[in-house]
Amino acid sequence: MRRPAVPAVALAGALALAGCGGSDSAAADLSVAASYMPQPVSADMAAGFLTITNEGGTKDELTSVTSDAAGEVTMHDTVNGAMEEVTSFPVPAHGRLVFKSGGNHLMFEKLKRKPRQGDTIALRLTFAKSGPLTVEMPVKSATYNPSTGH
Amino acid sequence: MRKKTFAAAALLAAATLTLSACGSGDDGKSPVSVVSEESGSDKAVTILDQPFEKPDLVLTDTHGKKYDLRAQTKGRPTLVYFGYTHCPDVCPLTMNNIAVAKKALPKAEQDKLRVVFVTTDPARDTPAELGKWLNGIDPQFIGLTGDFATIQAGARSLGITIEPTKKDKNGKIVSVHGTQVFAFSPKTDGGYLLYGEDAKVDDYTKDLPEIIKGANP
Repeated sequence: MRRPAVPAVALAGALALAGCGGSDSAAADLSVAASYMPQPVSADMAAGFLTITNEGGTKDELTSVTSDAAGEVTMHDTVNGAMEEVTSFPVPAHGRLVFKSGGNHLMFEKLKRKPRQGDTIALRLTFAKSGPLTVEMPVKSATYNPSTGH
Repeated sequence: MRKKTFAAAALLAAATLTLSACGSGDDGKSPVSVVSEESGSDKAVTILDQPFEKPDLVLTDTHGKKYDLRAQTKGRPTLVYFGYTHCPDVCPLTMNNIAVAKKALPKAEQDKLRVVFVTTDPARDTPAELGKWLNGIDPQFIGLTGDFATIQAGARSLGITIEPTKKDKNGKIVSVHGTQVFAFSPKTDGGYLLYGEDAKVDDYTKDLPEIIKGANP
């Protein structure tokens, strides 16, 4: 019963390694996942969260976030209950930049209308070295918890 | 059946290999920029051996009326949080978590519960602003504003340190919120439970029926 499983693993492993050959180059190789916006209380202000993964061997820097849905998008970290605006965030080589509730967050101000659960907010992320990335950020419930998925 | 299990295990192993081979997985070796980490499997609630006295706060509510916290929440199950409305993340999340959990209570119990949001940013959070914001979360919630020094002293009596709203080096206005929700017993009026920032809807949903009775969750 075990016998068929072994070649499967070996094969998948080999494939994975082969697939990675291209991504471990010198340049930063960025992708975005797990983005969401909790439905805000009003159109005045909203938070957004996402994870940027860098599979490349060079660090990069997130330098700005813009969205047509909001008058202004700023980046913040949180230190002892106080937000601090940050003008850029490092994206380490072979690492991640994580925005999550209670920590780093994107702050949307002067939204054109109040985002509602089920909406999607389009964002553009700009980096120091890599080209810009666009993100379709889904609006989740006000109490959405990414670790439980509801 | 057994075969399927093995197949699944093989797939899982393959997936693990894929991730570690790419160096993008959660293998603990990748450098990660995270400011605050989850505190793991710690329970969201702390039961205090030595309950806190309810802060002696006489402030202004969202209708512009004087509100005496001790007098007006006496004998009521009461949750108290210190935050501000220009807060995008933790303050609305904390209040929404409580609001969603509260809706799971029978109507009579919902009416007994007092949820008090004390602003840490009274200059911007006028009674009207505070009222508008709380109405978007739960119209039964009580919002209090007033003299910052009074609010700060009230927070300090619960071990919460807040600083006045100030401008940072970029000229942006920065306020500070508390990181805990205190639950006060209807039996003793003592603050006997403490919820950290990682308390979720489910934690409050599970505990509110006990808090209504003044029991330990």
